[in-house]
Amino acid sequence: MNLPLLLLFGFAVLLMLLLAWVLRDPRELAQADVDFGDAEDLDRRHVAYFPQVRQALAADDSAFLASRASQALTHRVRRERRKIALAYLACLRGDFLKLWRLARVIASMAPQVGAAQELERLQLGLAFSWRYEMIRMKFFLGFAPLPELGSLSKVVSRLSIRLETATKDLGERAALAAKLASSMDGRGLDTP
Amino acid sequence: MPLYILVLWACSALLQLITLILLLANGSFRKLPFFTVYAALNLCQVAFLVFVYSTWGIDSKPGKVLAWYSECVTLIAQALATTEILKVTLRPYQGIWGLAWRALAFTSALVVLIVALATYGDWGTAGWFELNRGYHLTFAAAVIACLLLFRYYSVQVSAAYKRILGGFCLYSCTEILINTVLQSLAKKWFDAYQPIWQSSTMLSFIVVLFIWVSALWKPLPIEARQAAPPADSIYQRLSPEINERLRELNEKLLRLWKLEARPQ
Repeated sequence: MNLPLLLLFGFAVLLMLLLAWVLRDPRELAQADVDFGDAEDLDRRHVAYFPQVRQALAADDSAFLASRASQALTHRVRRERRKIALAYLACLRGDFLKLWRLARVIASMAPQVGAAQELERLQLGLAFSWRYEMIRMKFFLGFAPLPELGSLSKVVSRLSIRLETATKDLGERAALAAKLASSMDGRGLDTP
Repeated sequence: MPLYILVLWACSALLQLITLILLLANGSFRKLPFFTVYAALNLCQVAFLVFVYSTWGIDSKPGKVLAWYSECVTLIAQALATTEILKVTLRPYQGIWGLAWRALAFTSALVVLIVALATYGDWGTAGWFELNRGYHLTFAAAVIACLLLFRYYSVQVSAAYKRILGGFCLYSCTEILINTVLQSLAKKWFDAYQPIWQSSTMLSFIVVLFIWVSALWKPLPIEARQAAPPADSIYQRLSPEINERLRELNEKLLRLWKLEARPQ
């Protein structure tokens, strides 16, 4: 088999795999909607716990503990703190993904969607995922860049507030539209 | 023609007939007129091929050329039927439909270019065979791009439409695989492999017909009325802002990666 044929064969196999992936598990989509619908969850963002996490990972605390406690205990505490940092980062990512999904839903409801903006968001999302993995690895290896993590949390938080306002706005408009549609179905009989 | 190919042909014709009857009996032809025309054209093609092969013979040149011409007609109908299903699915999502048709056009153009480059120099000899494969490659890539878009935007596609689209894609993918494998095996002795090619393509089409029959067994779902209000202003207002925030977030992450922040 020559190279072009091999490429065509590979491309066809890739298409089949993509098809299987894209058509699988419809429950996952439903789950996504359930997650999105759980709007009150947005109020309990993980970014709210940043001060506690910062405290838990503070260098002063570590130094104090190292001067007073045994080496084994210091190691154990450091290990536990790293676990906390990793868990926090994972939760932060969860928040980000939730908001990102919400942004996609807003786009899906819009009568006109800007291709450039959507592509940019997709690109940003992919970049976020990649960088997140890199930072997670850094945490895992023992680095803890907390001041920057603070800024990161602020950005997620600001984004969250804007999107929550938009969701509320959309909800009100949906209710209004449903009311209007119901009035039209009744052919004006329900008007005073 | 070997008996097993005739049997496969009969099975395929029967399933095509069932598909058409289901479309007409369920009233689904009103929702999917192009798909109904496609199903009817498939049956007409069977009758046409019976006439052509019995008149000129299966190995004759006019027989082959006429068979390929009839295939062109059904392939065009297939493209129209698929576009129709995509449009029906995306009717409540006007913005996404605008994006989807652009994705379709872009993906199709890109794949046509790739196919043209991959087969460059072979065009004279390959002829119909390459055209057929190129079409299926373009078709499958474009439909999968749209399905990916559906998934990205969490667009709810009814199981019946999903099965019909999946069937189209599956058929195209198997056609590409069969054509590619057989071309590599039998570059010069294609005639020897013709029964294998015929039986394998027919078999894959029979599988697809089973999928379509299962999809059309019940009437197609009633489309959800678009209760959502136009949220254009919200999108126009929020989208750039969200992107800006996301960009900002990525910059922060980039700084972290570049070790601008010192470890604690």
